[in-house]
Amino acid sequence: MTEDNSMLLQIDFKSGSPVYLQLVDQIRYAAASGGLRAGEPLPSIRALAEELRVNRNTIARAYEELERQGITESIPGKGCFLNESQSPYTKTARQKILIKKIDEAVVTAHHLQAGREEFLSLAGDRLNFFERKLKGKDNPKN
Amino acid sequence: MDTNVPVIGIQNLTRRYGRHDAVDGLSLTVRRGKCYGFFGRNGAGKTTTIKCLLNLLRPNSGTVRVFGLDPQKHETTVKARLTYVPDQVAFYPWMTVGETLEYLASFRAHWNRDTEADLLRRFQLDPSKKTQGLSKGQRTQLALIGAICPGPELLVLDEPTSGLDPIVRREFIETVIGAYQSGDPEQRTVFVSTHLISEFEGLIDEFTIIDQGRELLTMESDAARNRFKKIRARFSQETKLGLNGALRVKQGGRELEVLADGNSDKLLSEIKAHQPEELKVEALSLEEIFVVSDVLKKSNA
Repeated sequence: MTEDNSMLLQIDFKSGSPVYLQLVDQIRYAAASGGLRAGEPLPSIRALAEELRVNRNTIARAYEELERQGITESIPGKGCFLNESQSPYTKTARQKILIKKIDEAVVTAHHLQAGREEFLSLAGDRLNFFERKLKGKDNPKN
Repeated sequence: MDTNVPVIGIQNLTRRYGRHDAVDGLSLTVRRGKCYGFFGRNGAGKTTTIKCLLNLLRPNSGTVRVFGLDPQKHETTVKARLTYVPDQVAFYPWMTVGETLEYLASFRAHWNRDTEADLLRRFQLDPSKKTQGLSKGQRTQLALIGAICPGPELLVLDEPTSGLDPIVRREFIETVIGAYQSGDPEQRTVFVSTHLISEFEGLIDEFTIIDQGRELLTMESDAARNRFKKIRARFSQETKLGLNGALRVKQGGRELEVLADGNSDKLLSEIKAHQPEELKVEALSLEEIFVVSDVLKKSNA
């Protein structure tokens, strides 16, 4: 029951968040971070249910929710595919990823006793550094 | 077929053995398409309840309905629509695996040959082998094939995985998800009694914990994991907290462990006010909820 595009989805029963929502979040994350590309299929409900040992209804519910949010589109007889169109949720999903990373940095700063001013100033420095680097290379890549 | 009629409906079921109340006023409802967990310690009354569903035992009082029907009056109709895997499976020892399946199929209106072949291959069961030579795991696998191939509306499992090795247990659950739930999951209802809860965690939509024949807790799994939380904290020095309303508090030196029952936000703010060095909150798994359910019993009393 192996799928080529295994997205390494994981369920954490200790998170307290409904299982179907965990799947929705992880697939949205995969979509926003490039782990899953437009036109690529999601695993079949049966394969994913067996792999995660989760009720098929739960997977079906997650897939319905993704479709409702415009992240995926289901083609009868072929399965669920990630949408070509940029959905309005992608920005939120991207911000969510970013917030997670920023939070990690904030926690590290706290442990290292770096204050707000120092943290913000360092963040500014790093942004300037990368901007200079991009300009120096004259790289038009967005 | 009326989809609003619960697949299982039990009202105030009581069943005694002599003076002992094995089941004492139990009520529960299993809706169509759900996987329902029935958790309890050994002797809690799980098997007695299941036997009342199958008309293997008659209730002393209360009502039992399967597909809206009384299993005492409509035994054949009810049994034609469900299959059952008991904790101890027995076959005619002189029959081969293939003959046993043939025999089981002869009682059924419908039998999926493709599923049968798939599962025999998956479990590496030799159809020409006599059933007396099968291991406990292989017997259970054979019983599972026999229960899945008719494509029943209801699959009743009584402690199906106890005494099996971890690989067989895992395959068993994958088979219930894959082979049984294939087709129209809305028409596939599972009622599983078990105390090996963690393995079935992802499968269970809703559950009842039964204790001494009585219902202790009935909840949807997601809601239960949201309600019961374990909070762990460590302080820089020994700290005494009131923590009123906590289900259970364990305190040792600078360490604190609190069980919250729907009130984790309130307890958390009380703990945070004492500025813990470390703070961690996690949901209880269904198995942990089962383990702490005796605390619940005391707090209900």
